[in-house]
Amino acid sequence: LCRGGLAERLCRLQNRERSAISFWRHQCISDDKTPSDKSGVLIVKVLEIFEECTIQVAICQQLELQSPVMLSHEDAVISAEEPILKVLFTRETAAHLKSRPQDVIHIYPPWQKLLLQNADVPVIMNTYFSQKVLLSEHSEAREKTYGLTKMLIRKNIISLAQTFRLDDLDDKLHQEPSDNQVACAPQIPNKGDSKQHPLALSAVNDSLLEMVESQGAVGWREVQVRVVIQRVYCLPAREGYRSHTQGNKPLCATPVTNSDPPNVRLCLLVQDAYGMFSEVQLQSLSSTDGIELYCRRWEGKSCCLAGMKILQRTTRGRALGLFSLIDSLWPPVVPLKVPGQSQDSEMMTTNLPPPSFCYILTVQSGEIHVEVDEEEQISNLYQPPAVHGLKEILQIDGCNKRCSFWAQVLYRRLQTKHSVPIDQRDILLFVTDSTLQNVVHGIPRVVAVSVTALCVLSMEIGEALSAGSRLVFFKDALWGNGRIICVERTVLLLQKPLLCSAAGADLSELTGPVRLDELDSTTQANSICALRGTVVGVNESTAFSWPTCDRCGNGKLELCPQDRELLYCNQCSEVVTTPVLKMQLEVFLSCPSRSQSTVKVKVWHEISVALFVLFTMLLFLQTYEVQSVLGKEVGLLNCYVHSITSHPNCVVLEEIVLL
Amino acid sequence: STLPAVAEELLREIKKAFQESSHVPDDLLLGLKFIFGPSAVPALDLVDQRSVTRVRSPSGRILYQVLGSSGKLYTCYSSCHFCTCPAFGFSVLQKSESLLCKHILAVYLSQALGACQELAVSEEQLTNILLAEEEDEG
Repeated sequence: LCRGGLAERLCRLQNRERSAISFWRHQCISDDKTPSDKSGVLIVKVLEIFEECTIQVAICQQLELQSPVMLSHEDAVISAEEPILKVLFTRETAAHLKSRPQDVIHIYPPWQKLLLQNADVPVIMNTYFSQKVLLSEHSEAREKTYGLTKMLIRKNIISLAQTFRLDDLDDKLHQEPSDNQVACAPQIPNKGDSKQHPLALSAVNDSLLEMVESQGAVGWREVQVRVVIQRVYCLPAREGYRSHTQGNKPLCATPVTNSDPPNVRLCLLVQDAYGMFSEVQLQSLSSTDGIELYCRRWEGKSCCLAGMKILQRTTRGRALGLFSLIDSLWPPVVPLKVPGQSQDSEMMTTNLPPPSFCYILTVQSGEIHVEVDEEEQISNLYQPPAVHGLKEILQIDGCNKRCSFWAQVLYRRLQTKHSVPIDQRDILLFVTDSTLQNVVHGIPRVVAVSVTALCVLSMEIGEALSAGSRLVFFKDALWGNGRIICVERTVLLLQKPLLCSAAGADLSELTGPVRLDELDSTTQANSICALRGTVVGVNESTAFSWPTCDRCGNGKLELCPQDRELLYCNQCSEVVTTPVLKMQLEVFLSCPSRSQSTVKVKVWHEISVALFVLFTMLLFLQTYEVQSVLGKEVGLLNCYVHSITSHPNCVVLEEIVLL
Repeated sequence: STLPAVAEELLREIKKAFQESSHVPDDLLLGLKFIFGPSAVPALDLVDQRSVTRVRSPSGRILYQVLGSSGKLYTCYSSCHFCTCPAFGFSVLQKSESLLCKHILAVYLSQALGACQELAVSEEQLTNILLAEEEDEG
């Protein structure tokens, strides 16, 4: 038997029950009287007996029920006078009881009552602890004589045609397979604009679980569920976030998302009226354009799902990312429906535990049945992302919390692991907002946000980040272990979403120029900072200059095959007529803010070719002679910290230009 | 007849309880034992092992295949209670001692607990599965 499985559990329960039964029977025999505890005992008089399979069914009249009463609220329906019960006994119990009509039976707890859907008579089960009660001396004698004659009990033969229906749906869906309609031709997805239903769809359901349970049953394809779209995002396809890198693309400042079609799927996180969540994976997208549009048009709206296929049933332990998003949407903002009760009855919201499982659904290939009511207003169940200032987010307690914020992106850095293809690398974005810029002490002015390859970036975002400093809305980023990371289900947007609950003033506008933290003893590696100091040394061996493409910044220009005087950029596939000259030099600085460390900064300058000639003259004449550089004051430089070591106490930085 | 309605209601209760809490309460498990007797534990074991597959064809025909403990594959019909296992022939058909065999019970339990594996086959393949049973018995 499977460990921890249902079979093992029933085995244990059964063993316990058997022990209890034999103990009880033994007690009855030895005491030679009825057990003293009378509470919950059901007393019935047998009217009629018949057999079905090995179960003995006794139609009985309930005489009384001793207190404390263990009744459910349905008992109020049974008339007080002569309530009729159907009491079931197992073969073994029946053999022990040897019941006959007019016998009185005491049924001790734990017995179970079952109410059938279309019947008035309740059924009593688990009647192991039953005893016949002899009312008088005459009965005792009669009992002995009866024991000798065998009573004939009618046996009902059960028809095999009577199968069990586990669904609660209308009977019209319970048709024989041969009557089932063949599904129509596949629908072409139309971004939810089309309202036509060629399939004979059943009435709209509001429970995801019911739809899931009806999978495979007759008529399952026609089941429609109405849900609210809480979030829209893209996920990399399961096969991996591949792109088609061609040849030897140079590793330099290319746009983050290249023009090759990414392998992503549009997904919805939906919630039904009972609070259950489901992730619906829709079609693969050929381009990531339009994610922002889908978010604006669809989030918060109701939609109908039909013909979904279950991809997976996942649990909290297996899908931490998905559940961190679900947790950010819990508890719900409106009361939920309670399953099994009518619509009008009381709804529950208080103290509901967050969901522990979630179904991942996908569409049948070729058929997409997701109808979004775009014209309808936003549902009450929708929870827009709660926007916070970065200062507040840095102070959040706990791990794996989803957070949303506006921020100004100051600098972007690509991870330099060469073994990983460009579009699968992590990107580090350095961001700030007014809550960080306006603080005095203790909180960093700039925060690094790591964007993993799993977070799908749209083309628009990629271009915007390359172009210049931009305000970006980070929706559902993950905060934990002192870091903000953008993972699967995080969406970066350029425009403010229509609905979001902002805590406090508009955090997007920065007043005044951006300031970075100055280099000091608390500075960490892979961060950005500002520094000032005096040049105390120059690493001459590292000084050099090179031309770069003025269009894309490619630093690996080649000689033009046609004309070896000209430079050629194979990223732009064009001749570079006006290259930008980059010069690089490593200097050692003495910084008062971190006086104990050796500070090595790679400084570089760009100059246009027009000034190139002038500068070359200056080079030869004076400026880059080491002597003239020593002692020079270097003003506030913005730098990226490559590494910080304690032995030797050294900080290695690189001058950067903020976006 | 009473027993089929009782069995059906019990299975519905199990499905409802599982939907609400992803858990089957003890009293329902004991109810299974009460009604189905010795088939209950083996049927649950088949569910634990995910032995039930729902086979469907494009026209909507369904049948169930259950991988028995011996490794043999038994076919259960969906439109009536029938299973190709010997226990069904003996206990249900011949002696009318049981409502179902453990395989059919496992099919219902798998439906209630969402534990059915799914298999889509062509019309021909489904026909072959049904005919193959006939050949074996013939």
